[in-house]
Amino acid sequence: MLDVVDASASPSARSRVAVTAGRHALSTGVRYLIVLFVAVSLNFAMPRLAPGNVVDYLMPPESAGSLTEADRQQVLQQFGLDQPAPQQYVHYLNRLVHGDLMVSARYGRPVRDVLFERVGWTVLLVGSSLLIATLIGVFLGFRSGWRRGGRNDVGALSAVLLADSTPPFFVGSMLLLVFSVRLGWVPTFGARPWSGAQGMALIGGILERLVLPLITLVIASIGPVFLVARSAMISELQEDYILGAEARGLTPAQVRRHAQRNAVLPVSTIVLMSIGTLVGGAAVVESVFSYPGLGRLIYESVVARDYPVIQGAALLLVLGVVLANFLNDMLYPLLDPRVRGRRGRR
Amino acid sequence: MIRRHFRHGTVRVVLVTAVLGALVSTVGPQLGGAGTVPAPLTAAKLRIAVPGAENNVTPFTITFGSTPNTHDFLNLVYDTLFWSQVKPEPDSWLAESAEPNADYTSWTVKLKPGLTWQDGKPLTADDILFTFDYYLTYKGSAGRYSHHVADVPPYTSGEVLDPLTVRLDFSAPAPQFRSLPGADLAIIPKHQWEGITDPKTMTDLPIGSGPYQVVEIQPDQLYRLKANPNHVMGKPTVDELELVVVKDPAAAFAALQTGDIDMVANNVPPELRDEFAGGGDVAMLKGSKFESTQMFFNARKEPLSDPILRKAISMSTDLQAIVDTVLLGQGVPGSDTFIHPDSPWAAPTPGHEYDPAAAVKSLDDAGYVAGADGVRSSPAGTKLEFSILVNSFAPGDIRAAQLVAEQTLALGVKFTVESLDPATLRERRASTVDAVPEYDAYVSTLEAHAHVDPDALYYFFHSPGAKGFGVSVSGFTNASFDGVVEGATIIPLDERADELNTAEEILADEIPGMSLWYRTGEYAYRPAAYGGWVSDPGHGIFTKRSFLPDTVAAAHPPEVVAVAVTEAPAVTEASAVEPATAATEAAVAPAATVVAATPADSSGEDNGGSALPWVVGIGAVGIAGGGLLMRSRRKTAPTDDDD
Repeated sequence: MLDVVDASASPSARSRVAVTAGRHALSTGVRYLIVLFVAVSLNFAMPRLAPGNVVDYLMPPESAGSLTEADRQQVLQQFGLDQPAPQQYVHYLNRLVHGDLMVSARYGRPVRDVLFERVGWTVLLVGSSLLIATLIGVFLGFRSGWRRGGRNDVGALSAVLLADSTPPFFVGSMLLLVFSVRLGWVPTFGARPWSGAQGMALIGGILERLVLPLITLVIASIGPVFLVARSAMISELQEDYILGAEARGLTPAQVRRHAQRNAVLPVSTIVLMSIGTLVGGAAVVESVFSYPGLGRLIYESVVARDYPVIQGAALLLVLGVVLANFLNDMLYPLLDPRVRGRRGRR
Repeated sequence: MIRRHFRHGTVRVVLVTAVLGALVSTVGPQLGGAGTVPAPLTAAKLRIAVPGAENNVTPFTITFGSTPNTHDFLNLVYDTLFWSQVKPEPDSWLAESAEPNADYTSWTVKLKPGLTWQDGKPLTADDILFTFDYYLTYKGSAGRYSHHVADVPPYTSGEVLDPLTVRLDFSAPAPQFRSLPGADLAIIPKHQWEGITDPKTMTDLPIGSGPYQVVEIQPDQLYRLKANPNHVMGKPTVDELELVVVKDPAAAFAALQTGDIDMVANNVPPELRDEFAGGGDVAMLKGSKFESTQMFFNARKEPLSDPILRKAISMSTDLQAIVDTVLLGQGVPGSDTFIHPDSPWAAPTPGHEYDPAAAVKSLDDAGYVAGADGVRSSPAGTKLEFSILVNSFAPGDIRAAQLVAEQTLALGVKFTVESLDPATLRERRASTVDAVPEYDAYVSTLEAHAHVDPDALYYFFHSPGAKGFGVSVSGFTNASFDGVVEGATIIPLDERADELNTAEEILADEIPGMSLWYRTGEYAYRPAAYGGWVSDPGHGIFTKRSFLPDTVAAAHPPEVVAVAVTEAPAVTEASAVEPATAATEAAVAPAATVVAATPADSSGEDNGGSALPWVVGIGAVGIAGGGLLMRSRRKTAPTDDDD
């Protein structure tokens, strides 16, 4: 173990790593562009396969039924949805290249603005919950794995399994009931104070509204991280090098450090991969706390068949996931010297 | 080390849960202390929860996201010539008068003098003419509001006679002009809308003439409305309204309990009713938005095209049982005559004919023969197996459809319930005039407009074709019905009742749709914040009249203004001007009653909140049990890598 770490510190090894990392980045970049294009096309096609369309959503079905074809076209034309699908597709790609995400049929406003209002809240809520869930999950998971079957492990495992199997809307509603309604510690809904708050008061107001949805989302997302960290730890502990380290008389703390270093790899993968599902999964939490995030927007846009918003939001998600994967790919050689070495030899 | 003493995972979890449980049970009863303070009839600011956003609140961009409050929300910002359509002869509003020519094909509207828009510009006859022309031009975009200029009555053109007078011409008699479109069509300012050719993407703040001006929109979250001091009916009683979008009803009512908001625009759900009826800081006021829920049949598809079969299904359905189960009794069973019993156009004896035995006999007589499995077949040989389409977001509708299916099984008709997301449901219902859609039946909810519009029967049940909604409702086809309702659209309102009653009798005999229930409205608010709420039939209490000084004062005479009152006066409106009307309306309206606001005591804890300690307890037992189980397993089969 120690040898490998030392080797990476020598100058020649470092430059070799830089070159391979650069080549690696380029090839993965191209791959991701292809993935992106496929995703954009699917984002365009999938919502249109679902039955129904936005005109029926925008007005009561009774009056919608009395509209003539011309009336419908008059409405669709305002959102660029009146042409046949292939033309719409070309139009969409063309606008996309120019950074234009079209106009939302439900909001009547540019999709870019609609997304922009929410993405910040989503990054705040989902990002911080991902961070906290990862820290807690990794900490508990490593500890559980280190003392597998121990009291800590049993306690943490049952607590995490319970948390993971409790539906988020239930956890959210219960938290709301206890901490907002009964105790009155935090506000019941929204993301920010409506009026009058500035500076620190505004930040305080935002934070106090963040607490409950954050806890709910952490509880909902801690399970996989914990389980992966735990099992990674367990399997590392069964490796020969651990036996070797113990035989060399390293202290338990040193042995544990070695094991943790290697157990981090699968955890980083699962964490970065879960971004997409987490944003979508946050929809329930956002509904319970009336939090203006992307998850709820996507859900409601699907219900309304608001194609431009679905396309835009899905694109954003895909970008997030691709970026996370890219990061993961970049991070991997840094985290795992073995990957680095293998690529270097090729 | 603390860790030593506290390291046993199971013990820790149990301890934490126990502490949490104790916290909940001790804190619970202390809350909800009642205060009998006088409810103020004015307020500086009021925060109201609406269930959905309406974009920038113009007639062309609203999404009906806050249904059934959309119409009243829009009409906080905009005004109509008259108000409101619930009465056959609505009150003068922006218009001082409107006089027809001899055959009602032309109306001369005279505006009140000195009207202004919220931006200070004068509101003149030009704006009225522009409004009618604009709705007609963009009738697709105007959605729900277009048919009263494009269909009945069919507006053609108009002429401004002087700054306060405009003449509007129709291609057919429009005797109902004062209520429709007069009390329905939001008047829009020419100076904002002129030149806008894609009204659905108009994103500016709206300029109306209504009691409230929208000054700030946080999309999907908040609308800030400022009182319009120059409103035609006087300065509103509340200076500022914050309409916050809270989509989850449970969260909205939780926020009401904590005081984060002062009123919830939506009905109190039946399952939460008892919680608020117990009193405390929240009071309830009865009212009705004239909502109705019905199950429409596909009247064009064999064998449901047979009125005998539809009537037999209806007669086998016990609507009271459905109301008791689904609404926990908070509603009125539907009437076979469709129109809401409190509407001025209701049949003289609305009601539902429930007679399962007669239903069985009628099908026997008509040649519907039961097979070995008890399910009948039509004389043409089609088995009576149908599906009911329901909106998957409406659990009450799903339950109601299931009950209909259970109740009609004995008749030999087999319904299955199919729940779909709204867009798919609409797609399945959609049809062209010539085609017969595939669906059998569906459940839908309609707003007040369907019951107070004197032309509603024409719109909903006219045979499919160029007239009415026929094709998109049930496809009901009956030539004599068409004759009656078409004739009714062009005769004066005071002569119309007989015609409409004839039409309603045809509906009761042939049942194109079963009205399942009319929801009783109960609205919850915090009286300490504002007590001027007015129960306005057909509008509920979230409506402009709750903020207009005359109607608020009339509904709340000084001596009864206190939270502890149990009887609030029935709605009166502008009673100083029209005492006679107030009396009629009181007769029509269900008496507005503040539901007994008795002080809460510790025994008043038998509400939804008391489930919490139980849940916590069960959770604790589960965790403790699970922990013990795992611990004992570990003891019997210890792992070798333990410390």
